[in-house]
Amino acid sequence: MDSPAENPLELLVRRLETHQGLTPEDRKAVLNLPYKLRRLEAQGYTLREGDRPDRCAVLLSGYAFRHKLTGEGARQILAIHIPGEALDFQNMFLEESDHNVQMLTRGLVAEIPRPPLEELVLAYPNVGRAVLIFTLVEASIFREWTLNIGRRDSRSRIAHLLCEFAHRLTAHGITPDGLYELPMTQEQLADATGLTSVHVNRVLQGLQREGLIERERRKIRFVSWERMRDVGDFNPRYLHASEFNGRTAIT
Amino acid sequence: MDDFSSLEPLYRRWQRRVALSAEDKRAIADMAWSRRVFARDSYLVREGEPTSVCTYLIHGFAFRQKLVSDGARQIISIHIPGEFLDLQNSLLDVADHNVQCLTRCEVGVIHKSALLELLASRPNVRRAMWLDSLIDSSIFREWVVNVGRRDARQRISHLLCELASRLKSAGLEDGPIYDFPLTQEQIADCTGLTAVHTNRTLQSLRRDGLISLSASKLSILDWDGLSELGDFNERYLHHSA
Repeated sequence: MDSPAENPLELLVRRLETHQGLTPEDRKAVLNLPYKLRRLEAQGYTLREGDRPDRCAVLLSGYAFRHKLTGEGARQILAIHIPGEALDFQNMFLEESDHNVQMLTRGLVAEIPRPPLEELVLAYPNVGRAVLIFTLVEASIFREWTLNIGRRDSRSRIAHLLCEFAHRLTAHGITPDGLYELPMTQEQLADATGLTSVHVNRVLQGLQREGLIERERRKIRFVSWERMRDVGDFNPRYLHASEFNGRTAIT
Repeated sequence: MDDFSSLEPLYRRWQRRVALSAEDKRAIADMAWSRRVFARDSYLVREGEPTSVCTYLIHGFAFRQKLVSDGARQIISIHIPGEFLDLQNSLLDVADHNVQCLTRCEVGVIHKSALLELLASRPNVRRAMWLDSLIDSSIFREWVVNVGRRDARQRISHLLCELASRLKSAGLEDGPIYDFPLTQEQIADCTGLTAVHTNRTLQSLRRDGLISLSASKLSILDWDGLSELGDFNERYLHHSA
């Protein structure tokens, strides 16, 4: 058994605590979950549509994404995941995965077998609540993405996606405000926004020309948060990030 | 307190997914809730407002929607009797979207604290409600795909198939004729299209002998044709979960 300081599930505990206070017993129960570390290359799948989700991956490093394919093989990206996030809370209790989960970059995941995780969330109310809130916030992000693709123009869609990603990275202390590495190709940005990659390229060049963003290899810097927020019609309410500060554990 | 029969569809669905005990059933029946009736187009939840109740749909149809800042509307999901309209409100403190009645609706209003108490005391109910919320999520994901990567004919066919499949699975309708609560403008707002484009697309589906659509009735004349065109695979509805 790893000593607590070295346990990679500490990252998950910290993330859960942003939603719901945990008692020392709650924390211990999460840290005692069995897990297996798995290194994945970029494009590696952690879960495929149609598979039985028999484990839950927690992203320790690198970036991952969810996607579905249409009957014609077109891909739609549904969400981007950052370190500390569980990739398969969405599949808990369900028998068959309805989408794919794949790495955007190389990275490391801790895979927790499903039975002890399901027992844990049903037996420990604070942990259960934190996990449920995590999935509810994910659902809110899916709703926002439907709006983004359905009712915003291409420039707003891309700006919105960039704002969401930057906001989440900053909120979880992964990157300082304003400058971050964008782990997505133009094709992947297109698949996340329902556009073509040619169109994405044009939009990014436009945002750069207008002085809203600066790009350097895969890094992106917002010159002005406010202007990006306006262009992207971005209101972070749907991320429900500030609601839970200080929500104490039920003992 | 109201009679249990209004909660029967909910209970039946949960029972299908999770073995509920007699005590679970009693706890559901004992939960405090009140019946309310809302006119078509009424708001049940408004974006930005603090949440205090959860709403369960007894009769009628409702929908969730969000607006962009210039006022364009996107419908996020449609709800049928027996479903919760805002289960997330039990745990999230501020509403991130609007919930509105598509038709006259009869709903059960449950205070957050009553629902949380039921969840806290009944693990089986917790599991069943958890499944409900994850299946909602799966439907949201499918809608992202629908607006993002399908053409107009596919999007609308997919929407029609989904609604029919859910009504059938809930035991509310047998088909091939279904209650259909959406106007063309609302279909457009579900699919990210314009009303004109939607009108043209519906005409083409009619011409191809796939559907007929009147004021409030949808007839699916060729299910196989429509579901194939709509790229509809009901896996994401997790009917058997």
